[in-house]
Amino acid sequence: MSLRRHLPHYLMIAPFMILFAAFFLYPILSGLYYSFFDWNGVGTPNYVGLANYQSIVGSRDFTRAMTNLAQYIVITVPLGILIALALALLVDSFTGRWAGFFRNAYFMPVVLPAFLAATIWRWIYAPNFGLLNMILGWFGVRSINFLNDTGTMLYALIAVDVWVSAGFNMVIILAGLKNIPMELYEAARLDGASKWQQIVHVTIPMLGPVLFFVFTYGLISAMQVFDKPWLLTGSSFTSYGGRRHALLFPVMDMMGRAFGGVRFGEAAAYGFILTVAIVAVTAFMFALRAWRERQ
Amino acid sequence: MAFLEISSVSKSFGTLPVLSDIDLDIEQGEFVVFVGPSGCGKSTLLRMISGLEDVTSGTISIESEVVNDVEPAQRGTAMVFQSYALYPHMTAFQNVSFGLRMARKPRDFIAGKVEQAAAILQLDKLLGRRPGQLSGGQKQRVAIGRAIVREPRVFLFDEPLSNLDAELRVQMRAELMDLHRRLQTTMIYVTHDQVEAMTLADKMVVMSEGRIQQAGPPLTLYDDPANRFVAGFIGSPKMNFLPARLAAVRADSVQLEGIGGTASAALPLAGIASEAGAIEIGIRPEHLRLVPDGSESDGGLVLDGRVALVEELGAESFVHMDLADGTRIIVRAGRDAARPEHAVRAFIELERALLFGRDGQRIYGRSARRR
Amino acid sequence: MSQNGAGPVSVWKILKWVVALLVAAIAIFPIWWMINVVFALPGEPVSLNPRLWPTSLSAGIANIHMIFAQTEFLRAYGISVAYALLTIAGVLVFGSLAAFEFSLFEFPGRRVLFGFVLLSLMVPSAVTIIPAYLLTSQLGWLNTMQGLVVPGIASAFGLFMLVQFMRAIPKDMIEAARLDGANHFQIYWHVALPLSRNAVVTLAILTFIQTWGNYMWPLIVGSNAEMYTVSQVVGLFNSPLSHHTVDTVMTANLLAAIPPLVFFLIFQRKIIQGIAMSGTKG
Repeated sequence: MSLRRHLPHYLMIAPFMILFAAFFLYPILSGLYYSFFDWNGVGTPNYVGLANYQSIVGSRDFTRAMTNLAQYIVITVPLGILIALALALLVDSFTGRWAGFFRNAYFMPVVLPAFLAATIWRWIYAPNFGLLNMILGWFGVRSINFLNDTGTMLYALIAVDVWVSAGFNMVIILAGLKNIPMELYEAARLDGASKWQQIVHVTIPMLGPVLFFVFTYGLISAMQVFDKPWLLTGSSFTSYGGRRHALLFPVMDMMGRAFGGVRFGEAAAYGFILTVAIVAVTAFMFALRAWRERQ
Repeated sequence: MAFLEISSVSKSFGTLPVLSDIDLDIEQGEFVVFVGPSGCGKSTLLRMISGLEDVTSGTISIESEVVNDVEPAQRGTAMVFQSYALYPHMTAFQNVSFGLRMARKPRDFIAGKVEQAAAILQLDKLLGRRPGQLSGGQKQRVAIGRAIVREPRVFLFDEPLSNLDAELRVQMRAELMDLHRRLQTTMIYVTHDQVEAMTLADKMVVMSEGRIQQAGPPLTLYDDPANRFVAGFIGSPKMNFLPARLAAVRADSVQLEGIGGTASAALPLAGIASEAGAIEIGIRPEHLRLVPDGSESDGGLVLDGRVALVEELGAESFVHMDLADGTRIIVRAGRDAARPEHAVRAFIELERALLFGRDGQRIYGRSARRR
Repeated sequence: MSQNGAGPVSVWKILKWVVALLVAAIAIFPIWWMINVVFALPGEPVSLNPRLWPTSLSAGIANIHMIFAQTEFLRAYGISVAYALLTIAGVLVFGSLAAFEFSLFEFPGRRVLFGFVLLSLMVPSAVTIIPAYLLTSQLGWLNTMQGLVVPGIASAFGLFMLVQFMRAIPKDMIEAARLDGANHFQIYWHVALPLSRNAVVTLAILTFIQTWGNYMWPLIVGSNAEMYTVSQVVGLFNSPLSHHTVDTVMTANLLAAIPPLVFFLIFQRKIIQGIAMSGTKG
């Protein structure tokens, strides 16, 4: 009887929830299901229990992908946020039209489709005639093959990633900056704090929640990195990850096993492992915040 | 049966009780005001009448029909909100006609109704404007217009004047009284301002902590409050309360001791049901007089004290004085009647004194004064 | 305090401007360079013309013309536009209907259902993409427009953003409409939706930018050349196996970049507002 009263609510959310259930819940659950099978997409699946999981965890590619991911995250997330913070403070110090101009300029890379950004950067990084190598040439430095030299590939990728993420994070941090009441800065000034001290003791603490959001969201996105390394190395389903798999990452590995090796069960298992990792990291971040709040 | 009957109504939000045992009868055409401090439940009761909140137990009936389960729009009620709740993206005309448009009434019909309401509220020239272009008072009138157009049998007002400045409030109050006179519709009005309640109400319902403390004509509540809460809530400045002791109850009088610390008096009251014990005497500032030192108590009671501060209002002043036992009382006096730190005497008109027991309830008695 | 140009020009001020302009250059330069490559004579070696500014309008026009005339680019434009517009329509309609309920009303199961949707934001999209592909295939929707569009309509991010904005609608406006006799859908249509115009516009633009740049999904769902979106066509140009020259490749990329860039320049205020709002409330 009480359900009848709420009928209008359920009717209104039904379209969204039906599609959501069909294309999110069902896939997640069926993915979990198929992860225990060996399946090539057309034939009948074979139950294999935990074999998929075991073979993934034991494979060299998995280890490589995870190592790469760890190195990647440790640099790109903090670096991206630091630069975003610096840019936000920079833009905040301007007023009127110039503030808007710089804000738009720094945000523009975010608007570009990933495949575009990757292509442009591929040409910038190109050996001998790419822009970077040309500039290096003026200083007499020999050409570096950024995207093919296993020593530089990761950093080349990080540079592109920061180029995009800094603008995105900057915009969020800017909004947070605008929310800090002027009185706090004025009080600090009267107490004799210098500009730098004001940033450390007023700005950053007040930005706490915003920085938490940006950091957590950045972590979650970084753990799912796929587009950029795929396009920068010109990967295809038969050959991916770049030279000696220096830019192999978990999502790429998963996609490769799915559409390259046509092992959907294994890919599903991979996806589940990744999901658990992401949820674990997110939970850890929230627990950290709760712990800090209790201090 | 009354026009609008509220019977044994209670309301809880989950396990939190908000209203208990509400019984109230409202006649057709009455202007009823629910008044009380924040959190007393007056708005919740209003919203229950409108249908926006459910009734946990009890019944609400309009014209002998129980409306507990009737949809808000079908009850024949209309509500004016504190924040006006006007749709900012629509013109005044569209705001007022909203309900009629949703019911798909014909355009001429709608135009006619809106014009009628606009004429009553002097909105004719403002119908094309958006709420953002209207002043507070004008917005309030548009909100009222939206209610009028539905031709309800009960108008509900939820603190409609709280957002206006003092001067505008007084003006709008007069306009509301005028509106009531013209439309003759039953109106239920919620406010926390007892002055507003006193001036507007045919029937005043004082509420506190989810219960009705007293309901009746304003002057009745003023002169004859049923308990200490109502006595202290109505009237500005507030009634004075003097702790005292009921020493003895006689056939035609009661003996009070320890008033203001030391004084005693005999009140000519008969039929007192209470026993001896601690009580409070309630007396309004206008029933106290400052008298010169040394004058005799003349069938009344005289208390000595020292002036703490004086509020000069031009035509009169209110003198705050401290008695021997530390109780502070307020005496209405003329201009320039006293100075701080001076010793003064207050004369109490005992026949105006009200007695309240320790439980806050009024101790009633018949006047046994002999002339 | 400090007036324009009236105060002393401090070292900090100069430094600030230099850094700001330098960073702006780094941010914009790749796009600028792309334009220059397109609008330059193809054969010119880089040593003579380092492509630092556009040098030849006619060459650029010729490049653009060639792309449209000799490849299926125009068709891909059509497909991408249809894909984007249909997705936007779906996301806005389905999302606003649901957001209306989740933000303004209480009903049994509300928290649980909304919680599920929020949780899905934490599941990497790559995880759902494969089973979603399999489901789309089972429905027979591969290489169809509905296969491209429908799986993307239930956007958790869109729902989340609309809920945040709709929460700000004053409750008593909804109550007043209810008292006026508006039914549920009428309240949604006449009151809630007009008041959320900002959020809806912002979401539309963000969805456009996102679908336009979507690479993976069209790649696996639209394997027929006829269903290629702009991202796939450009992907063909970009692949190391294509034998096109730099200027041709860059022309394709430029043509792909124009719609989102134009949108951004027109609506930049709204876009930035939308993203910032979900961040500070998140």
